[in-house]
Amino acid sequence: MGLASANTSNEGMQLCVFDLRRGQLEGQELDKILFFFPADLPFSTQLSVIGLSEGLITFTRIFSPEAPCEVIEAERHSHVFYEAEPDIWMVMVVEKSKGLEVIWRIDALREVLKEVHSLFMMFNGSIRAMLEREPSGGVIRSHLYPFIMDYLSDFLVGKKLQLPSFRDCLTERGTVQMLTVGREAAIEVQSLVRVIESCAEAAPCYSLIFFQDLLVSTTVSPDDTINLFTYAVLRLTPRALSSGVSSWSYLRKGSTASHVAAGSTLAQSASVSEHLCRSHDNSPGQDDSYHVKRPLQHGRWAKGKDGFLITDIWGTDITSLITASPTIWLRQTGERMYLCAYQYKGLTLILLLPVSSILNGEQGVSLVKQRVLENASAKMLKVEEKLSKGWGGENAYHVSGYRYLLLDDDRNVSRASPPVKVTTLTKESLLAMNKLREEVDSIKSRAKRDGSEQEKDLEICIRAKNNAWVIAHTTRGKELYMVLEKANETLLYASDAVEKFSNRYCGGTFSLD
Amino acid sequence: MSGKASSSQHTVSFSGSGGLSHVYVQYPPLQCRIPGSRGLYYDDGSKLLLAPTSNQVFSWKTVPFDPHVAPVSDTISEGPILSIRYSLDAKFIAIQRSSQELQIWHRESGGTFSHKCRSESESILGFFWTDCPLCDFVLVKTSGLDLLTCDYESKLLDLVETRRLNVSWYVYTHESRLVLLASGMQCKTFTGFQLSSAGVVRLPRFEMAMAKPEANNKPVLAAEDIYIVTVYGRIYCMQIDRVAMLLHSYRFYRDAVVQQGSLPIYSSKIAVSVVDNVLLVHQVDAKVVIIYDIFADSRAPISAPLPLLFRGFPRSNSSSSRFSGDESAEANIGDHEAIIYGDNWTFLVPDLVCDIANNLLWKIHLDLEAISASSSEVPSVLEFLQRRKLEANKAKQLCLAILRTVILERRPVSMVARAIDVLVSNYSHSIKTGSYLKGIKVEKTSVSSGEHVSSPRSTANISASGIDTLGKSYEHESGTRVEKESFNRSSNISTSDSEDGTHFESLKTTTRSLQKVDKVNILITESVSSEVQPSSSQNQRPGLGNNPLNASISERQELLLTSPAISPDEMYSFVFAPVEEEMVGEPSYLVSVIVEFLRSTNLEKIKVHPNLYVLTIQLLARNERYTELTLFIVNKVLEPSKEVAMQLLESGRQNFQIRKLGLDMVRHLSFHHDYVVLLVQDGYYLEALRYARKHKVNTVRPSMFLEAALASNDSQHLAAVLRFFSDFIPGFRDTSDHHTYHRILSEMNSAIAT
Repeated sequence: MGLASANTSNEGMQLCVFDLRRGQLEGQELDKILFFFPADLPFSTQLSVIGLSEGLITFTRIFSPEAPCEVIEAERHSHVFYEAEPDIWMVMVVEKSKGLEVIWRIDALREVLKEVHSLFMMFNGSIRAMLEREPSGGVIRSHLYPFIMDYLSDFLVGKKLQLPSFRDCLTERGTVQMLTVGREAAIEVQSLVRVIESCAEAAPCYSLIFFQDLLVSTTVSPDDTINLFTYAVLRLTPRALSSGVSSWSYLRKGSTASHVAAGSTLAQSASVSEHLCRSHDNSPGQDDSYHVKRPLQHGRWAKGKDGFLITDIWGTDITSLITASPTIWLRQTGERMYLCAYQYKGLTLILLLPVSSILNGEQGVSLVKQRVLENASAKMLKVEEKLSKGWGGENAYHVSGYRYLLLDDDRNVSRASPPVKVTTLTKESLLAMNKLREEVDSIKSRAKRDGSEQEKDLEICIRAKNNAWVIAHTTRGKELYMVLEKANETLLYASDAVEKFSNRYCGGTFSLD
Repeated sequence: MSGKASSSQHTVSFSGSGGLSHVYVQYPPLQCRIPGSRGLYYDDGSKLLLAPTSNQVFSWKTVPFDPHVAPVSDTISEGPILSIRYSLDAKFIAIQRSSQELQIWHRESGGTFSHKCRSESESILGFFWTDCPLCDFVLVKTSGLDLLTCDYESKLLDLVETRRLNVSWYVYTHESRLVLLASGMQCKTFTGFQLSSAGVVRLPRFEMAMAKPEANNKPVLAAEDIYIVTVYGRIYCMQIDRVAMLLHSYRFYRDAVVQQGSLPIYSSKIAVSVVDNVLLVHQVDAKVVIIYDIFADSRAPISAPLPLLFRGFPRSNSSSSRFSGDESAEANIGDHEAIIYGDNWTFLVPDLVCDIANNLLWKIHLDLEAISASSSEVPSVLEFLQRRKLEANKAKQLCLAILRTVILERRPVSMVARAIDVLVSNYSHSIKTGSYLKGIKVEKTSVSSGEHVSSPRSTANISASGIDTLGKSYEHESGTRVEKESFNRSSNISTSDSEDGTHFESLKTTTRSLQKVDKVNILITESVSSEVQPSSSQNQRPGLGNNPLNASISERQELLLTSPAISPDEMYSFVFAPVEEEMVGEPSYLVSVIVEFLRSTNLEKIKVHPNLYVLTIQLLARNERYTELTLFIVNKVLEPSKEVAMQLLESGRQNFQIRKLGLDMVRHLSFHHDYVVLLVQDGYYLEALRYARKHKVNTVRPSMFLEAALASNDSQHLAAVLRFFSDFIPGFRDTSDHHTYHRILSEMNSAIAT
């Protein structure tokens, strides 16, 4: 049994995408639904969920036109809203149960919505644009469904969807984890970046370099970096390639079972997708004329002989039998780019070539690839060697005695204690931290609403029930969350611990006084 | 250059291809016409050109080369002159009067004495003065070498030692201190002695290769066919093999002579010169010269054969003088010009040409500009230029210009990177040699480290070398012992060091003794000079400008002062800054080049001028590549400094994130005052106060904080700031600031109250 049937409405989660500009006439309400999970829910139920959401959005807009509705906390459910594009909303409904395992942080859930939408945009462009190209909505539905289902399959643990819970309070979705490199290695990396980008000759191109699951260098904008980082870690890095399992599963719990489950889910969701399209599509014929790409589908990437990663996700040219190069859309410039990924040992390299300036399409791309192999191979070898020499392994960023999450909001970079270390924390500590983070989230969003340009300094230390210190510290765009268990009871001790950590690992950012 | 060339092309018809040339002689030459002169003699020991007349000797200094130098004259007695040389301290003149007799002249007193061969059967082949500690005069006779000391008090040359062997002819250059004695039927068996300041070193006997034209015809090697060549402190012997049309080269090591390969020749008459460690092979018949830089193992010529050129010749003068038919200088040269590579040309060691017929002395120069323009292989051209010491400044300017050009032409970054590597590593070496010169400590450690690895010989040898490395000079030991021990020691060191240290010979004098390209052997002059120097030899002969040992030292100092090495600062001001101004279009190419430069300097551990970092920030910011700029800063590719921080703040006007990086850098660098001011400017006056208190910054005016607090229109904050200063600055309550803001605060409060 796969994802679609494993989750019924009374256990777990509902997720929908709808367009407020559609289906405004009586009898055409179904038109506004672009995606609904679980798909086998009766339309009446789907419509009632969407109706409620729409009503609330309309109502709250009266008071706050810019940021209408963020969340509804009902007695048994939480509704998390995210306006992905103007008038295109994503709503996630999660059930509150008595059990501890399903205590969420609303912002973390919203980040899930944001992430899946950003990824969708990266591969397909905006939902609105697709709707404008094909107003019937068949195309967007046939794209959204497999995409979101593939995405959700990564959250599958056993047969249950496991959304980010309080246990993930020391991680931050939508941020990039970077490798700390020394000056020498950094210069080598930059030198490599220049060589790679010069392979496209006149075409202005971009690149990202990863080492294992960590980002080393990027030349694209922060938003695009996050998307590409997310995708690379999900599907391209050596770990993602070899396991076929989401490498994030280790972040959550590390379940090897999910691979099997995911496989069956895919089959299931694919059939459901067809079913969905047929069931309420105005023009069923459309489905075949569009190639529905499923870039998040598992096991579709492989390492080629020349070191470049290959996939048939973007289809195969029937005449030449060459698989088409992946293309993505850059958020910042709106350009369509070819995506070439190359892998050497732990090093993964993404080169983005503008479609508009590569002549002869595939031929042009393979020419650039050839040049990369010729010009940059030696350098990549060197960089890989340097980086792996300097890498401390998965637990490199563990600081003993501390469980922490360090966020840089300006750069969208985060660093945290390794998951295996976080799991040693007691439930009480994690719950307290989850609560504290919600508090900070709300302070932050309030400050944002007030339109204050100033970033407030904030320092909260809480003595939790289990005598752990739970600390949040924000200053000028940087946030530090920390749990200290088995620590001394004085507040002085706690603030000393923060100061020490800050001086040692954050360049003194959090030790202003 | 082309302009000059064309002017001479007028008269020199055979200069052929548009006057293109890599080697030239510069007008005017040194004129050494003395009426009644009995020929010209060149003494390479004292570097004097000598023109004896019946009762006088005129001498011109050739180093430094000055065409207008006036001759110095000495009175001598009449008599035949076969050969003449000045002693190295210039106190004596030695004149060979016959094949049996020498005459020594004391210049100061005019006193004289004679030295005659003991037996009639031997005759004098030649003689030279030396700075060897054993003797100061060497007589080469058909029966061998006589090592003599000059004892003016007792008016005789004391025989110190005799080396018996049959000698057909000999070759000696003072530069190498090496005398090669030819013997045998074909005169191709050689015995060499080096009479250096470390003592006399006897080289193993060796044979030179000669191709046979026919079975029973054996060519005889002549002294003219042999050239001793000193380049990069190594000694080579070039042997002309007319039958095979090859120029064989042999390199001398302390205990071996190794053939190094051959160069093709295209003329039956060949001459060899060395200019600034570049080997010039004059193909006299073909009237072209081929240049080689045998620093590396490459035997490829630097460029195509091209004619030797006259330079700076005044054309109008030459034409007028022709009509006048006068015996004027110009007329001489005018005539002379037509016979470049004429029969009258005698090539003197290392870089002089004497026109015997016209009594002119020319100095040969390299045209670095032309050489560098003739090759497109930029990194190797730069390497060549970086090895030039004679015209270091010119070489340096050329290097800078070449680098600027390749960047402006947007040549592939990989090639530019290699070019940069050449310059940076050369700079790094020149820095290191500078430190070598200061202390002998380095030398000691390097030698002794060699010992650890070595020791294929007995322990006795090792201990001997240990004493040497501790700086004992050879003078305390007897000649034969020295010779033996130095042999042993050299092989000890050499075996240990064969793998490394072969590259920087020209620069590292102190380690020269350890460098040998081909395993086992040691090179002679250098090892000698470095081991005994500087303690003994310098003290021994202070203040002798012409003493070649001293000369070599001064040469090294000059290398330091005017080496073509380019510092990172110069790289910035003469390459990157001007290029940035001239460059049009995308600056990312220049950023790539700068990254390569940073990579190179980081590898060599050389500091880079902050201005270059500032420039990089400007380039990236101009292109709005803020993501990369952030990475550059975070990973310290651009090292933190106040200049960098200020530029980040400046560029941060367009991007707040960059400004924050600048702020952080200011804080990290502990510019507390600046940081507080910047915080206040950004409106973070409370944070600024906390920071100021923590780091005891009391240089910022209170009014600045108060103004900022007032601007935020928050009476609580204003009150807090006011309170802060009242509490922490004694006497603040009495200042006008306090009064002003106290009043404002109470007005604000009353406004809220109503």
